[in-house]
Amino acid sequence: MANQLQQLLGQFLPEPFDWLVLTVLQIVALIICVILCVAYLTLAERKVIGYMQSRIGPNRVGPGGFLQPFADVIKLMLKEVIVPNRSNSFLFVVAPLLAIVPALATWAVIPLFPGFVIADINAGLLYVLALTSLGVYGILLAGWATNSKYALLGAMRSAAQIVAYEIAMGFALVGVLMASGSLNLGDIIEAQSGGVSNWFAIWLFPLFIVYFISGVAETNRAPFDVAEGESEIVAGFHVEYSGIAFAVFFLAEYANIILIAALTSVMFCGGWESPFAGWEFLQGTVFAVIANPSLAWFAVKIAFFLFCFLWFRATFPRYRYDQIMRLGWKIFIPVTIVWIVVECGMLLLKIGPWGTVL
Amino acid sequence: MAEQIIFYAFSCLLIIAALGVVVSRNPINAVMSLVLCFVTSAAIWLLLEAEFLAMILVLVYVGAVMVLFVFVVMMQDIESATLSARFAPNVWPGLVVGAISLAELLVVVWVRREGLPIAAVPEPHPADYSNTLELGKILYTQYVYAFELAAFLLLLAIVAAIVLTMRERPGLKKQNISQQVSVRKEDRVRVVKMEPESDA
Amino acid sequence: MLLENYVPALLFLCIATGIGLVLMSLGFMLGRGEKSDAKLSPYECGFDAFEDSRLKFDVRYYLVAILFIVFDLEIAFLFPWAVALDTIGLFGMVAMLIFLGVLVVGFIYEWKKGALEWD
Repeated sequence: MANQLQQLLGQFLPEPFDWLVLTVLQIVALIICVILCVAYLTLAERKVIGYMQSRIGPNRVGPGGFLQPFADVIKLMLKEVIVPNRSNSFLFVVAPLLAIVPALATWAVIPLFPGFVIADINAGLLYVLALTSLGVYGILLAGWATNSKYALLGAMRSAAQIVAYEIAMGFALVGVLMASGSLNLGDIIEAQSGGVSNWFAIWLFPLFIVYFISGVAETNRAPFDVAEGESEIVAGFHVEYSGIAFAVFFLAEYANIILIAALTSVMFCGGWESPFAGWEFLQGTVFAVIANPSLAWFAVKIAFFLFCFLWFRATFPRYRYDQIMRLGWKIFIPVTIVWIVVECGMLLLKIGPWGTVL
Repeated sequence: MAEQIIFYAFSCLLIIAALGVVVSRNPINAVMSLVLCFVTSAAIWLLLEAEFLAMILVLVYVGAVMVLFVFVVMMQDIESATLSARFAPNVWPGLVVGAISLAELLVVVWVRREGLPIAAVPEPHPADYSNTLELGKILYTQYVYAFELAAFLLLLAIVAAIVLTMRERPGLKKQNISQQVSVRKEDRVRVVKMEPESDA
Repeated sequence: MLLENYVPALLFLCIATGIGLVLMSLGFMLGRGEKSDAKLSPYECGFDAFEDSRLKFDVRYYLVAILFIVFDLEIAFLFPWAVALDTIGLFGMVAMLIFLGVLVVGFIYEWKKGALEWD
């Protein structure tokens, strides 16, 4: 379809510009998709947690509450943005931007379905890591610029926590790299082709668990949400944010959640690969289609991990701050280091589907 | 052509950001300018096809080192720091250091020019060329001693950081998890058999 | 060419920034209201703020940040190693195991010194 569109554009535009326009269209479409996903993730969150707690959740706006996210967005758009008089107003306004830009821009290297990725760069994984490490500035600056104790405490807590879990995430990704031998996210997915038994989630199970839980902690979600722990520091770093400035932080947080879900499926669950790939007896039946790699599989996996995020929030009580730090430093980092060494042994003994190395 | 436009755009941004680091009175603005400096230099390195180094520059310097800077600045009393900041006294030492750095750069460029075809533009690499892979191929074989030395430097950094900043605060009540987990019923509960006190 | 693949990423960054800017300015234009001193004062449970909010933090935050830098560097060393693993073979693997061993010594030192405790 992209090729047809490019041919169509090529009739009106000279050589490099048809490509440029096409890319811009793709990027805008992807960003709109992400934003819509965020909108419906908020609805899903309220519905899912509602049902888990024997409530119905929002059901007034539109059929079954289906238009609730739009009502929320319009409300937030129309609310006044308050810039507190003792804050640093420039940084106060810039901080939400610093949160949203990395959260959206990381999507550039995520392969969505076979042969489609907006920026097919070699160092894709490094790009992801570099951009996600920028996300901490939005929170830190928001906390500092607000000039409120609650905000500052929330920002400091959140930064120290993000920093601790980023290391565990990095080590977990090194394990993925050892198995795939490439930094390109498309290649990492290809390395897991051939059904569920080749997924890294099986062979690197401890790393998979560490990565996903670290992802929950990185996004400051329950049970690791001490950065906004409302019983202690009101709302943490965004205590003074209102209207659209708050909405942008909210958007960034949820875009990051979806990103973590997508990255977990890419790194450990084969992205767009089907879990039934390589099941011979499916061929020739009506079920053959489910063995094909497709965007649908990717979406299913993302939806599953998103559900886990909501499930965790409904299930677990909040961790205490020293417990969070202990989990990050004293449990996850040793586990990942040990598993990297184990993986070295697996590579030497040619255990695992990737046994081509050495 | 497009490459040159991008290069000059990022170079201008880099110079402006670098000036911002030096000139701005508010420490947090200076730190954020420095962040912008690193990001734009990463973009310029990327133009040199050093994609691994560019990404690591952002990851390590912006993602880690500058976070430490922000921590430090956030904990200062900004108002008094801003007021007491005087630009002038630091100008001369700064200029001297700058001049020395510039001289060093010029010398390096001059020396390199002797033997190397520095004016020739290197051929662009094909799309599947992986900078990271090429680096990995030599770093752990040819330069293995330097690499192991790096491990000891990092070890030194860990030890130094702990020695310099660790302070035991007296009177802390700590949670000992292994003790908590290994506690048994007998340690906590004493069952006392006693006669009824009255038969009423 | 290597760099061509980065152009969409650059475009993506620009467009993401643009969308953020558009959202923020829309909100500022649509959401107007009366400003008053009470509304603009920092939130502190109904009191006037007693003092400036910047406060001295525990030195532990610095320690965490420094340890983070060290470990981040370590990860930076691991990436090219993992990618080049099948060309550098056993030699490279042993080299990295020594590297990791040295740093595990540092990690154990941290642990025993109590630098990883948060209390």
